[in-house]
Amino acid sequence: MDDLQFRRSLYADPNNRDNDLIEALSKDPQKQKFAHEVSILEDKIFNALNVPVPDDLAKKLLLKQTFASHKQHKRKTRIQLALAASVAITFGITFSLMQFSHTYKTISDYAIAHVNHEAEYFNNDIKTRVSLTKLNQKMSAFNGVFLEQLGELIAANYCRFDGTKSLHLVFKGQSTPVNIFIVPKSEYLKVGDHFENEHMQGLVNNFYNNNIIIVGDKNEPLKKWQAQISQKVRIST
Amino acid sequence: MATKQTRYEALVNALHSDLFRYAYWLTNDKHVAEDVVQETFLRAWKSLDSLKDEKAAKSWLITILRRENARRFERKRFEMSEYEEASILDVNAHSSEQEIENHWLRDKIAQMPEEYREPLVLQVIGGFSGEEIADLLSLNKNTVMTRLFRARNQLKEALDEEPEVRGQYNG
Repeated sequence: MDDLQFRRSLYADPNNRDNDLIEALSKDPQKQKFAHEVSILEDKIFNALNVPVPDDLAKKLLLKQTFASHKQHKRKTRIQLALAASVAITFGITFSLMQFSHTYKTISDYAIAHVNHEAEYFNNDIKTRVSLTKLNQKMSAFNGVFLEQLGELIAANYCRFDGTKSLHLVFKGQSTPVNIFIVPKSEYLKVGDHFENEHMQGLVNNFYNNNIIIVGDKNEPLKKWQAQISQKVRIST
Repeated sequence: MATKQTRYEALVNALHSDLFRYAYWLTNDKHVAEDVVQETFLRAWKSLDSLKDEKAAKSWLITILRRENARRFERKRFEMSEYEEASILDVNAHSSEQEIENHWLRDKIAQMPEEYREPLVLQVIGGFSGEEIADLLSLNKNTVMTRLFRARNQLKEALDEEPEVRGQYNG
């Protein structure tokens, strides 16, 4: 190891004690002297670099962390609480919507579904008839009165018109029965004047607080029924 | 939570002095150094889980500190001033000879180019090997060893050439 290399390696790392260096040291008193000088220099450098550390720095660091993690914790708690609350609200709303929601959005949808559902119970051949008196007894619940029969009344029953109490009348029609519903107006059911599907058709009339819905097959002259209703049915406000 | 807290406290107690000294020589200002160390430890707390090997803690913290310091430069690019003598640690009137020499040498170290000073601090204060310093500074080892040599050589020459300057502090 030549002198320059020796100096360089000792300056680069005064604590370097690899074999080459130790060997070079042991052979050369000049190098030992230089190594000694370097260690004195190194002590000075070490002392100079070791600037005093503020006494309270460690405490400050710990304090700062405590505050930071406290804030973080609080924020987490708040977020968790907010999440829990919104989940609860979502559940609540979903539950109440499911409880109180209506299956059908329009009167016509429901009327057709209702008629189809009961189609097997009624046909034109049924011989039973409901009297005008009986009909008007039921009609009184809707503040209404039939001045005369509209036709041959097969059945008159209260029923739930998608959750709303209503009167369902089944008359003998030309080929299949004609269904008339007297339904109190409600906010959620949308009313259209006329509706139909493949086999059925229907008309909706407004009578003060009630809708009167006529449903029959496609051959049934519903307009005639509508005209009869306006002549023979009185509903007071 | 408790273990994380314990680990953090151990890190702070064991390494805050070295970190502060390193930050001091990086920034040449003890107040800025304190801020940088605080930022460093705060960031360390947040990502403490990513520190798997406690033996690597010091170099991990040094890396965070270098990043924090770089961030400070981005933030305060226009406010940064060059090294000023006044910002260096004060030496009070009744210091010992040793302290006066320390102070004089500190000035010299502060005036040294950062590329020499930083490896020197990492070696002397951090106790890192040439390879480790090369890793931390993304340099090759030969470059690091050359810079360390030049750093000591400069200081040696300064000490040899300007003994009378130290005397000024005696008055």
